[in-house]
Amino acid sequence: MINIENVTKSYVKGKKSIDGLNLEINNGEIFGFLGPNGAGKTTTIKMITGILNPDEGDILIDGKSIQKEPIEAKKNFGFVPDSPDMFLKLKGIEYLNFLADIYEIPNEVRKERIENLTKKFEIYENLNAEIQSYSHGMRQKIVICGVLLNNPKNWILDEPMTGLDPKSSYDLKEMMREHSKKGNTVFFSTHVLEVAEKLCDRVGIINKGKLVFVGTFEEMKNKFKENTSLEELFLEITENEK
Amino acid sequence: MKNKVLSLTKVFLRSSFQNIETANNQNKQSQKSKAMIILYVFIFAYLAGIVGFFSFQIINGLLQIHQEQTFLGVILLGIGVFVLIQTIFSAISLLYYSTDNEYILPLPLKPSQILMAKTNVLMLTEYFIVLIIGFIPLLIYGNMTDANPIYYISMTMILIIFPIIPVLVSSLLVLIVMSFSKFTKNKNRFQLIATILILVVVFAISFTTSGTESSPEKMIELLTKANGLVEIIEGKIPTLKMAIDALASSEVMTILLNLGGILAITGILYAIYILLGQKLYLKGAVGNLYSGKKTNKKINDKKAFRKSSLAKTYIGKEFKILIRNPIFFMQCILPAILFPIMVIVFGIIGMKEEGIQSITQISEMIPNKTSIILGAGILVVIQFFSMFIYISATAISRDGENAVFMKYIPVSINKQLEYKVMPNIIITIIMDIITIAIAEYIFKMPILYVILITLVAILIGIIQSYLMLIVDLKKPKLEWSSEYAVVKQNMNLIWPVILGIANIIVIIGLTALINGKVSTYIGMFIFVIIYLILLMIVKKYIKNNATKLFEKIF
Repeated sequence: MINIENVTKSYVKGKKSIDGLNLEINNGEIFGFLGPNGAGKTTTIKMITGILNPDEGDILIDGKSIQKEPIEAKKNFGFVPDSPDMFLKLKGIEYLNFLADIYEIPNEVRKERIENLTKKFEIYENLNAEIQSYSHGMRQKIVICGVLLNNPKNWILDEPMTGLDPKSSYDLKEMMREHSKKGNTVFFSTHVLEVAEKLCDRVGIINKGKLVFVGTFEEMKNKFKENTSLEELFLEITENEK
Repeated sequence: MKNKVLSLTKVFLRSSFQNIETANNQNKQSQKSKAMIILYVFIFAYLAGIVGFFSFQIINGLLQIHQEQTFLGVILLGIGVFVLIQTIFSAISLLYYSTDNEYILPLPLKPSQILMAKTNVLMLTEYFIVLIIGFIPLLIYGNMTDANPIYYISMTMILIIFPIIPVLVSSLLVLIVMSFSKFTKNKNRFQLIATILILVVVFAISFTTSGTESSPEKMIELLTKANGLVEIIEGKIPTLKMAIDALASSEVMTILLNLGGILAITGILYAIYILLGQKLYLKGAVGNLYSGKKTNKKINDKKAFRKSSLAKTYIGKEFKILIRNPIFFMQCILPAILFPIMVIVFGIIGMKEEGIQSITQISEMIPNKTSIILGAGILVVIQFFSMFIYISATAISRDGENAVFMKYIPVSINKQLEYKVMPNIIITIIMDIITIAIAEYIFKMPILYVILITLVAILIGIIQSYLMLIVDLKKPKLEWSSEYAVVKQNMNLIWPVILGIANIIVIIGLTALINGKVSTYIGMFIFVIIYLILLMIVKKYIKNNATKLFEKIF
């Protein structure tokens, strides 16, 4: 469960990048975070994951404050950043073992998890190669595998589908569904409205640092024009705020 | 053609120096930038002051024996050797392992244009150091010898043209050796062997050009002749005599003729370089070497899934990245290991040429094997080598935009910084041991004395490693498109030199204070205590400030 409580952040004095954001992502929920470029999606994700400190407010991950108990809070989530170009000089297996050591994954389950995940994402055969030799999609997959290795209760993903081939994208979506069914939380940002519509239990739309809509797609359609396309709805919500 | 080369040069330079650009609208940022400029001016003044002080002393001495022109030869030869060695590392990094190659190669540019632009960057990068080791001493020389205004003009021109030849020689050597990479299967091993091979060749060239083969009789003859000593040096590099003649003369015609000669030789060499380079460059290893190691080898079940301690796995990760990335390896690790061995080995060979027949003779030059001065001398030499270790000074910058990784994993920043500093400490200790072992082989010092020197050297190394980490934490270079920018065009890397020199001054000062007043062992013990206290202060600072310093990384 992720609680964002009255969070405000300014990069430049007098201009709020995030303005009084309140959001609760419940257990067993897939939550899509939408918004135009520069709306504040990445800033919000950075604050949830402890990369940035909010100026005001607090964020709790399963009840642990990311500011007051950062280590405990960080143990409760796995984060997939928007760029998968990480530790390119490590071999795939070395990267996964590095993360497994960070998250203290015991020997007994480590091998099984690595094999299962990498075989599912079809990168098992490449584990002995440097990540630098991987394609963009394969890099994305190894980062996702690294995050899922710890089996964290809360998944936070920044544009996770970018670069994935259709099968991997499908598999990831299935895994997100399975994860939420087990009572866990999935929070992800995306530009692809169709993905959000098909996958998310609820969505939040942010524009110019303010949350302009939270709810299900049904609620969105009811609130605005019922017969317009998803794309038009999104544009209407974000443009009305200008 | 020219415009494309110029634009390309600008792009390479701009992307490298982006973190010191000052353009920013915000007042606070602009104030910070001003503070940084003031700091850099201060740093420059500090280095220039030290170089200037020594230059003044040397010129003063040479003036008294009417051998002042030797200074011109020594400075120019020094520039040549320094640029020759420096360019080896830079050329391999910039020409072959730069990530910007991926963006540049698909553009409609000729190989010669890319090569010219990259060579321009190599040259321009070297000018900064030429400014300190060349401009300042020659300026002082002009002042002390009451030179004509025309001296300053020819001096400026020579400092611009003269370093080009060593840059071209080193780069050409790199181009030739690297062109063989396509015949090898194991690229990683090839690049390591190639780098070491080129370095050995360049060191050999440097030391044979700077060594002397004069007999004692010849030396006396040259010494008695006004400015005779310079004759030993001037034949070492083709343009050296011309440069010295141009600087020493006050006749416009002589100056012009010599400058013209240097220009002509440089021009011919440049043409040869470009002609050969465009054939070798793209056909060589570009892209090929950088693509990362692909292998379909099965993973070893027993080893691959084994749990390790966090410290071991984290430090291991740092080392793997340092060793497998050729630019980081060449700039951060290799100099630390190779410089002591090469300088000392070639130094001994050079000394033998001067009449010292055996190592025993070198050892006999210092009768007291437990003198505090001998220990301080070894520490100074170690300190000099440590100026080339950039591991801690780039610990955060090397991660680039991925440095945020440190912030979202459940490991405290302080703990991670302890792991990040370890590779620098380990490599410094290896360098300490190599240097002290060679010193022990030469001087045959008592074992307790050797242990004490090692202890002090390690303590200094640890302090420096932490201090360098603070430097990188204060102003990390996180936005880069090529690793070359992190290790070569990074203003932070002046700090190892500044702190190295400061520490040399501290060592000499402390030695002067305690020499003769206490026994050597007590003296060394005082060193240990002082550096232990310093270490505690530095560690406390990091502990209290790490999280705050890390706030600006996001």
